[in-house]
Amino acid sequence: MDSHKTGIKENDVLICLEDVWKIYQMGEVEVPALKGVSVEIKKGDFVAIMGASGSGKSTMMNLIGCLDVPSKGRIFLKSQDISKLSESDLASLRGNTIGFIFQQYNLIQSMSALENVMLPLEFQEYKDSDAVKRAKEILDLVGLSDKLHHRPTQLSGGQQQRVSIARSLASDPEIILADEPTGALDSVTGKEVLNMLHKLWKEHGKTIIMVTHDLNLAKYAHTTVELKDGEILRIFENNKVN
Amino acid sequence: MKINKCFKHAFNMVLHSKLRSWLTILGIVIGVAAVIAIVSMGEGMQQTMNAQLSGLGGDIVTISPGFSRGGGMFLMRGGAGGTSGGAQATDKEIVLGRSDLQALKGIPEIALIDTNIRGNVDVSYLGKKGKVSVTGVDQKVWSQITTLTIKTGRMLDSADQNVIVIGGRLASSYFDKPVGINKMITIEGSAFRVVGILDDQSTNIYMPIQMAYQVIDDKTNDVYDSLVVKIKNEDQLDEVIVKIDSKLMIARHVTLKNKDFSISSRKEMQQTRADTMSAINTFLLAIAAVSLIVGSVGIANTMFTSVLEKTKEIGIMKAIGARNNDILLIFLFNAAFIGLVGGIIGIILGTILSGLLPSLVGNLPIMRGTTIVSMNSIIMALSVSVSVGILAGIIPAYQASKLKPVDALRYE
Ligand SMILES: Nc1ncnc2c1ncn2[C@@H]1O[C@H](COP(=O)(O)OP(=O)(O)OP(=O)(O)O)[C@@H](O)[C@H]1O
Ligand SMILES: [Mg+2]
Repeated sequence: MDSHKTGIKENDVLICLEDVWKIYQMGEVEVPALKGVSVEIKKGDFVAIMGASGSGKSTMMNLIGCLDVPSKGRIFLKSQDISKLSESDLASLRGNTIGFIFQQYNLIQSMSALENVMLPLEFQEYKDSDAVKRAKEILDLVGLSDKLHHRPTQLSGGQQQRVSIARSLASDPEIILADEPTGALDSVTGKEVLNMLHKLWKEHGKTIIMVTHDLNLAKYAHTTVELKDGEILRIFENNKVN
Repeated sequence: MKINKCFKHAFNMVLHSKLRSWLTILGIVIGVAAVIAIVSMGEGMQQTMNAQLSGLGGDIVTISPGFSRGGGMFLMRGGAGGTSGGAQATDKEIVLGRSDLQALKGIPEIALIDTNIRGNVDVSYLGKKGKVSVTGVDQKVWSQITTLTIKTGRMLDSADQNVIVIGGRLASSYFDKPVGINKMITIEGSAFRVVGILDDQSTNIYMPIQMAYQVIDDKTNDVYDSLVVKIKNEDQLDEVIVKIDSKLMIARHVTLKNKDFSISSRKEMQQTRADTMSAINTFLLAIAAVSLIVGSVGIANTMFTSVLEKTKEIGIMKAIGARNNDILLIFLFNAAFIGLVGGIIGIILGTILSGLLPSLVGNLPIMRGTTIVSMNSIIMALSVSVSVGILAGIIPAYQASKLKPVDALRYE
């Protein structure tokens, strides 16, 4: 693989899952969503997670994003075992290192685009003036500088998703996690969003992990992880170099 | 997140809150308004009472035969208060006499001593008859001791014999025709000339004590129903009372155990009335507090629903870096804000209400139409409503802060 061209640091493992299990308890029944998943994701990689519905993609994303803890196994983020971290350490890890993009955008409805993008910066205790400046820059980057004071309800789906991308970038995280970012968008808008992610990967050196159903969209990624019934079916690198 | 940011987000939450939150606020508003109005009424009563009592007769001490052991408070004629019903003024065995008077005269701090007897007598004026209360007073000192004031005419004088001073109502409306100065009233068959009319609403008659012995039945010369003394210096009241107490005990050959007289002062009466007032106030406040408690249950309820409603947002905030503490503070501030806003509106409403109150409850003599909203009650109402908000918000806010991000995010 042409590591130089893609910016992937072959020896720099950013995220590592070691025999990770996630078992949901549904009353009496145990539902295993992940069954011993082990995978290494290198810094600067663009990973697509694919698989049928219910195969455990979102579960895996949530674990990587420190939104949930595994039932068994260990997860390392930048060589730190995240099960050893306190709640507030996890919170700052999420705030500083990870940016989330959700299928349903998950913007806060009572806040304007600008306020939504500023929110993660406020949690990181940025100065007000810095936060405003930074948020405006990023909204400009995603092409929304004319919609700063619009509420989510006053924006189209694609625009909302761009606000959400801007929000994920606000505190300049190394990793961007996107769970079906185009799932609620039409194919044209979806392509736009994908191009944006691709640009972030290519030009800004972000490590991107994206869940998708769509084979066409998975082609934007460098590495594809395929899940089936909570297990990794295969991992392959895209032969078409981006 | 910085505290001021938590504050801002909490404030925005109140601004964007639904009708339900405003209904919760209404609960607090009603509670606070009730407290403000009730307290203002209490303070108004207090002020009226102080005005009625202050400065008047603070240097006057009354000694009466009989002793009430329960409360220690002698039941004044016509006065309120005193719960033990221990007045024994009619007990024939126990009287105040010449020796008591002598004992009092030996106390240098005493300026004047008035000797009183009292009884009911038949009166008639221009053919209209009636029965009223007569007080025989030592006319040489009475005018300097009494707290009563004259409306027309004059007080009794040392040279007076067959003259009387009468209460305002006796003069104006007790008989068929009003009684004026220099008119003659017949008391137990003897004619008395009216020299003064009091500025009050009583039907009492005051006359020289020597005349009173003649018109009131069953009275013996030099036996008194009460002794009223005026002391030289009002500040010495407490010491003089102690002195009178011990001197009289010696003169009457009694000890604390079988004490047979009572000493009362205006100050004491004032104290008793103040105690009664504060009891009434406490009771009223308790009622108002209940409405505040109901209001706080409302806040708690709203906070719980609001946490549910905001579950998804809590999840989002946690995903983008919110700490448990940030969430906790935002929700706590939110609850405090609801309390604060409710408190402020409640104070405004309560102040308006307290202005309307006098005309609503009618002109109670004790209130004289005044209500006072004091700074104290405003500060108290505000701090209570804010703490009520915080207390009611603690558990829901804590629950919100402990939500697992993944669970919160999945919530629809
Ligand atoms: N909170 C939960 N409680 C119980 N079972 C759950 C829970 N979350 C997920 N599961 C189960 O775990 C399995 C994997 O779910 P997951 O959401 O990871 O699937 P997915 O691959 O993201 O599917 P989709 O493409 O539909 O989003 C499913 O069988 C699901 O029913
Ligand atoms: Mg999913």
